[in-house]
Amino acid sequence: MSDPSSRAAACPTDQAEVVARLSASAVGIIGLGGLGSNAAMMLARSGVRRFVLADFDRVEGGNLNRQLYFEDQIGRPKTDALAETLRRIQPGIELTIVGERVEPGNLARLFAGVDVLLEAVDSAEDKAMIVATAADELRDVPLVWTSGLAGCGSANSIRTLRVGDGVWVVGDLEADIRDGLPLLAPRVMVAAAHQAHIAARILLGMPDA
Amino acid sequence: MQIELALFAKLSARYPVPGSGREPRPLEIEDGTRVGALVERIGLAAEPRITFVNGRHAADDRLLAEGDRLAIFPPIAGG
Repeated sequence: MSDPSSRAAACPTDQAEVVARLSASAVGIIGLGGLGSNAAMMLARSGVRRFVLADFDRVEGGNLNRQLYFEDQIGRPKTDALAETLRRIQPGIELTIVGERVEPGNLARLFAGVDVLLEAVDSAEDKAMIVATAADELRDVPLVWTSGLAGCGSANSIRTLRVGDGVWVVGDLEADIRDGLPLLAPRVMVAAAHQAHIAARILLGMPDA
Repeated sequence: MQIELALFAKLSARYPVPGSGREPRPLEIEDGTRVGALVERIGLAAEPRITFVNGRHAADDRLLAEGDRLAIFPPIAGG
């Protein structure tokens, strides 16, 4: 069990200190769908000012039920559309845009400078590839991956679990879109919030993150 | 030698030894067993999976040692 006194000691005592501490950090996000777009928004609002954002897709009408895009952005690259929104939240934000597919051969180069990396893609095979590559090649970069956020199950079954040295997983580990389950905005955003929150806790140096 | 095996979520149906629920279980394996050989033994070779040994990602050629903690997760699609 964590020590409440150490937790209290590490948590900033006011909002300005949160922003001051997070603004010095860089966050990498692979996949800007329901998880990545919303996690980026929450971290930008929290104070993170530098992001490396990777996605090769364009905004589609079917994305608008859970992803942070708007009808007038349909057809645009998700990277550009999200950059526009993040700059409305925080005009001084510094964004590095990656429009190519993230693969074993380029992941370490693209994300070597980040302080925490979020895996937020939808395919199971890509998740496995990203976790394996990042865990092996970016050992000093904390990694948060996601697994299981589809369907109508309780939002309370979405959780954050530390699974290794510097590696966390968010989700219920069960609910899979390949089983025909839908993606509901609230449950997806709960998972995105878990992902953003553990990232913030890591960046704030919380001892029990 | 003995290791501890943890199969997460739906993979827990593949435990090769009896135990309690989905909890990690001790498993006897032969000296010189690699992760990939054990994964094949429990029928997960064709499954997308994420594998850790003692908290570090482990490839299939990782040699297992006495007391190792092997954890296998199924990556679940959706995002």
